Amino acid sequence: MLDIDAAAPAAAPQPLPAAPRVLEIRFTGSGSEYFRIWAVNLLLILVTLGLYLPFAKARRIRYFYANTLVDGQALSFHGDPWKMFRGFVLLAVLMGTYSGAGRFSPAAAIVAFMILCAVWPALWRASLQFRLGNTSWRGLRMGFEGSLKEAYLACVPMYLPLLAFVAWSRLAAPHASGDPAGDRAAFAAYGATSLFAMGILAMLSPLSFALFKRYQHNGYRIAGQQGRIDLSIGRVYLLGFKLVGVAVVSMVIVMLAAVLVAGGGVFLFGRGAEADSLWARVAFLAVGLVVYLLVFSIVMPFGAARMQNLAWNATRSDALQFQSRLSFRKLFGLTLLNWTLTGLTLGLYRPFAAVATARLRLETVAIECSEDPADWVAEENAGHADATGDIAGDFFGIDMGL
Amino acid sequence: MTEAPRLTADWFDGRSARARPVEVWLDGAALHFGDHSAPLAGLTWPERQRHGQRQILLPGGGLLSFPDAAAFDAWARASGRGDSVVVRWQQSWRLSLLSLVLLVAGLAAAYLWGLPWAVDRAVDVLPRSTERALGEHLLQGMDGDWLKPSRLSAEQQRAWQLRWSGVLARAKAQGGPVVPEHHEIHFRDGGKALGPNAFALPGGDIVITDALLDLLADEPDAVMTVLGHELGHVQHRHGLRLMLRAGAVSVVASVIVGDFSTLLSAAPAMLAGNAYSRDGEREADLYGRTLARAGGVDTSRMAVFFRRLAEKRQASVDNNPVAIAISTHPADDERVKFFSEP
Repeated sequence: MLDIDAAAPAAAPQPLPAAPRVLEIRFTGSGSEYFRIWAVNLLLILVTLGLYLPFAKARRIRYFYANTLVDGQALSFHGDPWKMFRGFVLLAVLMGTYSGAGRFSPAAAIVAFMILCAVWPALWRASLQFRLGNTSWRGLRMGFEGSLKEAYLACVPMYLPLLAFVAWSRLAAPHASGDPAGDRAAFAAYGATSLFAMGILAMLSPLSFALFKRYQHNGYRIAGQQGRIDLSIGRVYLLGFKLVGVAVVSMVIVMLAAVLVAGGGVFLFGRGAEADSLWARVAFLAVGLVVYLLVFSIVMPFGAARMQNLAWNATRSDALQFQSRLSFRKLFGLTLLNWTLTGLTLGLYRPFAAVATARLRLETVAIECSEDPADWVAEENAGHADATGDIAGDFFGIDMGL
Repeated sequence: MTEAPRLTADWFDGRSARARPVEVWLDGAALHFGDHSAPLAGLTWPERQRHGQRQILLPGGGLLSFPDAAAFDAWARASGRGDSVVVRWQQSWRLSLLSLVLLVAGLAAAYLWGLPWAVDRAVDVLPRSTERALGEHLLQGMDGDWLKPSRLSAEQQRAWQLRWSGVLARAKAQGGPVVPEHHEIHFRDGGKALGPNAFALPGGDIVITDALLDLLADEPDAVMTVLGHELGHVQHRHGLRLMLRAGAVSVVASVIVGDFSTLLSAAPAMLAGNAYSRDGEREADLYGRTLARAGGVDTSRMAVFFRRLAEKRQASVDNNPVAIAISTHPADDERVKFFSEP
């Protein structure tokens, strides 16, 4: 921590070198400090019965921004927690109605699901507008330029099969009619078609993912720099197939290892009468859980690391070119450590994990800049979020997290 | 008059990205920077922290950036800016650990007293019709996943229904306990996963599995007592209470544990369900025994049920190394005694 403390003030006032240069990203947050912020925030959330949540979120974002130095200058967050509070209430009501409706009647569940589908792209866009419109670097507000229409278009490949499947499953779900043979056949057919629909959704998910990333990265803007992403759908599919491959291979390896360990245990301790005891079964379950978590701790960092690199390396603007070199091995090691320690400390390690993950993911990104950012000037119409004309996002302060 | 302490800052005006070095000082209700000033009320001050840069956000989108955090903190203190209570707690290990302790104590108190109270109020308010819709929806969901249509013939099902309505009629004539307005027995095949089982859903739908009826084909009195027990759950609206409790606990857990893992956030909800249901089981046992006895049923036949259940459980555990029966019911012996005592 000492070197960071010493380096942070030293980095900023250096004279800027000639224009083409690399803007390094550094993250100076500390796990132990964020732990204390987190602890006090949690208490305040409990005492206020959850109403403090948006204020806690604003504080968390401010802490992470103040510690994210791009070329020696921290990001700043201008979001007003009271506005975020309105968005929080809106989202809470929406999600509460949705999950409540689903429990009470199938018809209400369909209606609620349709409403959620209908408003989700608009909320997504509003949250991107809010977060970026309230983020600034060197006093320049960022912005999000994605249009409402594009937000809906990006969701089409996800929505069409999903809507068809939901409508169909609600209408065609079998009910026990009293005739055992007929009912069994209906249940079997229902199960098979559900599986088929899930398969189609899974096959389309890389396409959706690519469209989401395109929408986001094409919308990012700071001053005159408008983001452009050149992300080929084929490469996202390739990553998807690799992900499936990694999942299968890691599952086989981890399970083989578990069998070897279990076999070793039986060999060492013998298989007496006590091998059938409750403890043997508990051990079996524990090994199963470890296998499950290990596989996830391989697959998730693999997907996250490769996707971050794929999306950001394809992103540029007139003067900026992003480079992300997040290594899977490092993210895997960190994820494993984070999960283990969070589990062992019953969640107390979570703030440390959040800081460590942010550091790893941010510091692997560098930005090549062909101009001197100090020459940039905010665009006339691009002032502040409350002047962009789109009231909804800012009025409700919707922030679903980026 | 003493000179106000001054500090240099990088001023970004929100239009140009070029930093302008300025001197900053406080004067009464205004912050001065270079040739400009802004009223204190419109500013957003940074919180004191050990790490990161300090920024004062100006109204209108500009900001003053202070790369040297320690110098800023010293200047702010010298200028008479105190820390907020929240910051003082955040910066102290003792107070932040204390807030964790208070958090745990608060959660425990909410769980022990607040939650049951809130659930009882919610159950009083929720109309029976909502509860019924909820139960029907649950049953529909289970019909897709765990439950298959019953293998019992229509006559067998009718025979059980007749016997049950006979018990209810006799119990009513004998002045037995109040029976919920709506309830319905459903016969289903629960497969190996559910085994011999019966359960009540919110709203009065009671499901009894084929395996249970096979197990007790020659012990109709035990079946009637089991149904009485389930009717007790319906009468006391245990299903709804359980769902509300589990829902509330999982919401709180997901706020604390966050996106870390659904596994972790599901665990407290499951534990809550288990801990609470023990009292519920005793309540339902009492109701079931009273009702069944009023309906002329020999409730001591439950002893046979528990014995056969235990044998079956032992057999399935012997065959299946993964099956660990974590029963939510009170110990069998205790219940056998309860159903047999005069």
